[in-house]
Amino acid sequence: MKILEVKNLTVEAGGKKIVEGAGFEIRKGEVLAVLGPNASGKSTLAKAIAGIPGYLVKEGSIVFKGRNINKVALEKRVNEGIVMVFQNPPALPGVKLSKLLNLISKKESGYGESHPDFLEREVNVNFSGGEKKISELIQVLFLDPKLLILDEIDSGLDMKKREEVMEILKERVKKGMSVLLITHQGEILKQINPDKVVVLIKGKVGCSSRDWKKVLETIKKNDYAQCKKCKKL
Amino acid sequence: MPSAKSVKSCSPDFLLVDNEIKGIAQSNEVLILPSPEAWEKLEWTRDYFSSKPKNGYFIWVKKQVDFPLSTCVNIASPGVKQDLENLMVVEKGVKAAANVVCSSLKMNLSGVHKAKGKLVLKEGSSLSYNHVHKWGEKDSVFPDYEFILGKGASLDYNYLNMLPPEKLEIRNKIACGEKSSSNVSISVNGINSKINIKEEVILKGRDSQAVSRLKMVGRKKSDIVAESSIIAKERGKGHIDCQSLIIDKDSKISSIPLLICENKDAQITHEASIGKVSEEQLNYLRARGLSEKQAIDLIVSGFLKS
Repeated sequence: MKILEVKNLTVEAGGKKIVEGAGFEIRKGEVLAVLGPNASGKSTLAKAIAGIPGYLVKEGSIVFKGRNINKVALEKRVNEGIVMVFQNPPALPGVKLSKLLNLISKKESGYGESHPDFLEREVNVNFSGGEKKISELIQVLFLDPKLLILDEIDSGLDMKKREEVMEILKERVKKGMSVLLITHQGEILKQINPDKVVVLIKGKVGCSSRDWKKVLETIKKNDYAQCKKCKKL
Repeated sequence: MPSAKSVKSCSPDFLLVDNEIKGIAQSNEVLILPSPEAWEKLEWTRDYFSSKPKNGYFIWVKKQVDFPLSTCVNIASPGVKQDLENLMVVEKGVKAAANVVCSSLKMNLSGVHKAKGKLVLKEGSSLSYNHVHKWGEKDSVFPDYEFILGKGASLDYNYLNMLPPEKLEIRNKIACGEKSSSNVSISVNGINSKINIKEEVILKGRDSQAVSRLKMVGRKKSDIVAESSIIAKERGKGHIDCQSLIIDKDSKISSIPLLICENKDAQITHEASIGKVSEEQLNYLRARGLSEKQAIDLIVSGFLKS
């Protein structure tokens, strides 16, 4: 069952065309990784799918569970199951993580309970990079996502925490959660073993493949140079 | 009468409902009396009261207490007018903490709460004073407090008003003695309210220090005028920080920090800002499924409490 279908998507942000004609699909319980160098449009693509204001769909469509959601507001997309982990989440002074969790869901995620002291801290205030990622993960798991968008989830996490996070995500994927994984490093693919990989260069999809190992090997050798020569771009 | 220590977790040390005193706790360390009784029994208190008070509390912290004192003043009936005069004295070298709540128990009581207070911190004493106000939308509230800090005394005063009345006038005057320090934070959430705040800190003694923080939020046709001043009469340091958020286009905030320096060795500074809710924070919370209103309420609450 297709959970997300992105068709010929063009996205503008700050008056500039950042993503152009992107297309791919994710099925239930699949992990799709979007790879690309810095400033290739990966985060813009993620934010447009999540529905963050300021990321305008100029052409094409975002279809979630068979319905075009181009005009669906951000919070309604969350209620339908599209949830995003931010790369750089803002600080919320005076707002305890526990209070935010109470507001966003009454359900238990199981993950927050193992961090009781952490829950009493103010959201993203004086958090290290790794703590921000843990906070993000605790929040999004409370929301019980159907499609989880992970924007650079691996940055700031040490190896042990990264493995812990990946194990939790793999468990959720087994239960049917789909994942759109944004990364520029690619190392995380070894831990999450995605079903498909898409390479984004200058806002356009260069290639998509089920053989992520081969794509990663090529990128490692040439640092996207070969992708940039791709005839599709 | 139960001791203050025994009642600390179940009821306040002083409870006033409308104009009737419902409970006063006592202990060896702290004497609590109705203000008129203090005026009658303790002649020295007349130096602090302007005249014989009609109502209110007198708290005399004579010795160290290891728990926060608490007072609760409620309006429970329609049309009640409270005219209180409170006095709190913390003796030399004593460390004390107080949690003070003044509130209306319903939103539509149209009450009037006037509270004139004097807090005297004697030499080397310290007081952490948390003052919470919760009012109905038709109430009028006039707290007028004076803090007198003796040599080396230390005051930490936090005022929080998340549910404001229709009309609120706050007057705070803080006189800092030699080597004393004052740390005052006033946070007011204006919702369809007319709010006027005047705070004055006087650095009277050498090497005294004062920091005043004002946080204000203007929502739903609120009109807030806040004037915060530091007057340095002696060598000392002071800082005023005024931060405001305007949520609705029909609200108005006037933020006026004022520095008056009468001593060439004093160092006093201020900063002030008025802005809107951050789009980034708003979108972040919406991305957690909160509605725009829920997100703004949470950001405002965090802003005022941080």
